[in-house]
Amino acid sequence: MDYSSLLFDRIQSQASAKELSWIESKANGSLQSLQTAFVAAPRFISKEFVQYPEPINGVSFNNWTFDRLVRVYLLSKFNSSDKDSYIKAIDTLFDTAENNEAVALISTLPFLAYPDYWMLRATNAVRSNIGPVFDAIAFQNPFPKNLFSELAWNQMVLKCIFNDKPIHKIEGVLDRANAELAHSISYLAHERWSAGRTIPAYAWRLVINFLNEEILKDIQYLFSSSSVHDRIAATLVCIATDFPGAKEELKKHRDLELKAKTDVFSWEGLEN
Amino acid sequence: MCQKHSEISQNPSHFEGSAEEFKIASTVQANYTDYIKGMKFFDPHIHMTSRTTDDYTALIDAGVVAIIEPAFWLGQPRTGLSSFKDYFSSLVGWERFRSSQFGIKHYCTIGLNSREANNEALAEQVMEILPIFLYKEGVVGVGEIGFDDQTAAEEKYYRLQLELAKEANLPVQVHTPHRDKKRGTELSMSIALEHGIDPGMVIIDHNNEETVESVLEKGFWAAFTIYPFTKMGNERMVEIVKKYGSERIMVNSAADWGISDPLAVPKTAALMKIKGISDEDIRLVTYQNAIDAFAQSGQINAIDFESPMEVDQNLKFNGNTVLRGGQIPRVEKNSIIIS
Ligand SMILES: [Zn+2]
Repeated sequence: MDYSSLLFDRIQSQASAKELSWIESKANGSLQSLQTAFVAAPRFISKEFVQYPEPINGVSFNNWTFDRLVRVYLLSKFNSSDKDSYIKAIDTLFDTAENNEAVALISTLPFLAYPDYWMLRATNAVRSNIGPVFDAIAFQNPFPKNLFSELAWNQMVLKCIFNDKPIHKIEGVLDRANAELAHSISYLAHERWSAGRTIPAYAWRLVINFLNEEILKDIQYLFSSSSVHDRIAATLVCIATDFPGAKEELKKHRDLELKAKTDVFSWEGLEN
Repeated sequence: MCQKHSEISQNPSHFEGSAEEFKIASTVQANYTDYIKGMKFFDPHIHMTSRTTDDYTALIDAGVVAIIEPAFWLGQPRTGLSSFKDYFSSLVGWERFRSSQFGIKHYCTIGLNSREANNEALAEQVMEILPIFLYKEGVVGVGEIGFDDQTAAEEKYYRLQLELAKEANLPVQVHTPHRDKKRGTELSMSIALEHGIDPGMVIIDHNNEETVESVLEKGFWAAFTIYPFTKMGNERMVEIVKKYGSERIMVNSAADWGISDPLAVPKTAALMKIKGISDEDIRLVTYQNAIDAFAQSGQINAIDFESPMEVDQNLKFNGNTVLRGGQIPRVEKNSIIIS
């Protein structure tokens, strides 16, 4: 699939004549001139938001600035036929990246050749303390969904929950839910509760298929919470799960169940 | 940066004002911010890498909305290229993000400082990576470069970096030496002119009463570092503004890992206000002139800091992010309870 040309079509629908001629003059250059163009892009390209955010290659562009999209396109034009020089050129960009460049680089991971090679860049982005860099790997980016091990995946999701970030924006967040993650969410919740705090209610959606006696106690605790969000989450979990104990629990909360079943309550309403 | 500890004792601070001024200086202390309410400041020389989050909080509280962090030496020499690369990266990466968490817009200048120019083998390698950084967003100049011991190597790399600045069309932030300052300043300026650089693109830093006249006369920007014990005290600064006015003059803190004061710019503004300098002159030397000088890089968009920093939820990071709700969480210093 030639994603470059799809990206270019998207760019063409928004770029000014001046921007377009700059982009076209750079797009077929050498690795080195593409490298320079990647860095210099904001000098020539606006920071307006991308107008058409529909996904390409699983990457969607909500709240992207236009220069970020152009940077991704320029990277997609790097000639990958010589693996060593291709990797070296992109590694240099990573190693010297300014924050907006780092965001664009991480956003480009799904478009790069030799995907396995970039794994450490991806997991380092998860480790990053720089908010926008973390967001670039976690949200609207299919790279983790497609390539992360369960350990790396869980690390990313937990860090999102820990930092009150919107986990519903993670690509594949429901598909890749797993028992280990459900256990960790439960554990994190216990820590928070001891400190008189909570976790975002939406996170409980990820335990639905992994309910056990232990996690059921958490759900019972949520039903008793003073937060309506917690009570809604508990209700939605009990409706969706097959775990028998949860169905019993639900019977004690008919009012909540009714509202959930009539769509007054929904997971979408719990997105943060 | 800029001085050795031994120089602190060699150059003690000394008060030369009138009795009345002495009285002001000793009574107007804690509440100096009353005099600068509503004013905004731009500190064009401060090394936040060496400072704590308390300083960031204090800066934004005092009205400092944007800063420039020049690349400098870290107190001990670097031994390899990677340390330079990581340092430059941190100026456009981590430190920039850290600053944004306090609502302060962070710019930087990138360059090979004069002290480390003396390690020629390493300096050669650093020169090769400088262009990568000079074209990055928010890099507003080549700096701080210039002379320290005034050696041949320092001169060589000063000249090479002037050429880089010319090619990138970037302002130059020139560090002037502590010892033999007048000669070093004159040399820095004449070399810049020799390279065909517009003096309006050069900010000569760490000026004093001895150097200012020549710097202004030749058309350069004159920056003054308000630094305890060495360089300028801010009472002397007030006198300079009284004498030379506000054109092409700017004040900075150069706060770093030494005994320095990150609030030097707002404090100096307060002192100017007390001493009857007009609001417009204060605005020029503590805010606008620095912007005008460094905005020639094309990398400063005043909208980014002129209106109160918006709460950007994308920048929100963790449970106690400083930007949550636009409020910086306060650590109550006098409370024994940490919650
Ligand atoms: Zn300095």
